[in-house]
Amino acid sequence: MISVEFGAKVMFTIPILGGIPVTDTVVVSWFIVAFLGILFWLGGRKLKNIPEGLQNVLEIVLDFISSFVTDVTGPKGEVIIPYIGTVALYLIAANIIGAFGISPPTRDINIAGSLAVLTMFYVIYSSIRARGFKGWLKSFTEPLSIILPFKILDLFTRPLSLAVRLFGNIMAGFIIMELVKGFVPVILPSFLSIYFDFFDGVIQAVVFSLLTVMYVNEGIEKME
Amino acid sequence: MSVAMAAGIAALSVMGAGLGIGYATSKAVESVARQPEASNKITTIFLLGAALSEATAIYGLLVAILIIFFVK
Repeated sequence: MISVEFGAKVMFTIPILGGIPVTDTVVVSWFIVAFLGILFWLGGRKLKNIPEGLQNVLEIVLDFISSFVTDVTGPKGEVIIPYIGTVALYLIAANIIGAFGISPPTRDINIAGSLAVLTMFYVIYSSIRARGFKGWLKSFTEPLSIILPFKILDLFTRPLSLAVRLFGNIMAGFIIMELVKGFVPVILPSFLSIYFDFFDGVIQAVVFSLLTVMYVNEGIEKME
Repeated sequence: MSVAMAAGIAALSVMGAGLGIGYATSKAVESVARQPEASNKITTIFLLGAALSEATAIYGLLVAILIIFFVK
């Protein structure tokens, strides 16, 4: 019948520290990072005051991300735009790449999980930087000290839900697309791919970024 | 056999997401009808709420997948 490997296949092993297995999702991830890096480096050379060409397109993208962030946080949130922009662009590229025949790297729970853990570290870091270490500890008891256990639980459930939401949506879309390609390999997959790869992928990237912005906003606003 | 039944019962939880997103959509449509200028904000909030509600359906799917692959 249909036999397709849903998990991530180990491509090669880095021969240090007893062998670190490198899966194909990580390799695709490297290509996405290289592609985005080269694209923005090319757009950032010889900046002109009146932008044209590639610089114009990239500035439109960055403008959109900037307004997306400051709509939620106000002007004080401008420091987090680089991180949010990076995560959002990486996720959009990683989710959409399924439409081009390469299996999306975010279908690997390790990649989704590491993005979520990194995001939670960033939220904690920006909260400590804005309010100081004591301020961050005090924020666990705001607005009522009775919610302290729930806030501690939040530290663990938030990255878990971010990771599982991203992984589950992309993996489910990937499985359905593989099944459809197995049964009806012509016209139908392209129509379904518009929903599963483009729409769902962009929505998941937007939701991940929006939730990150909201968590950071909650961490850096001072309740006076 | 029991693995299949367990996975099927776990997958029933997606009902909640369908109801939740349907309710959110109806409220969003209602409020856009009452105040069409706020339609952009309402769309953003609605999409966020729909994605959060859908996540609970994904948890159910994840439990079903874990049961199929890890229960002998």
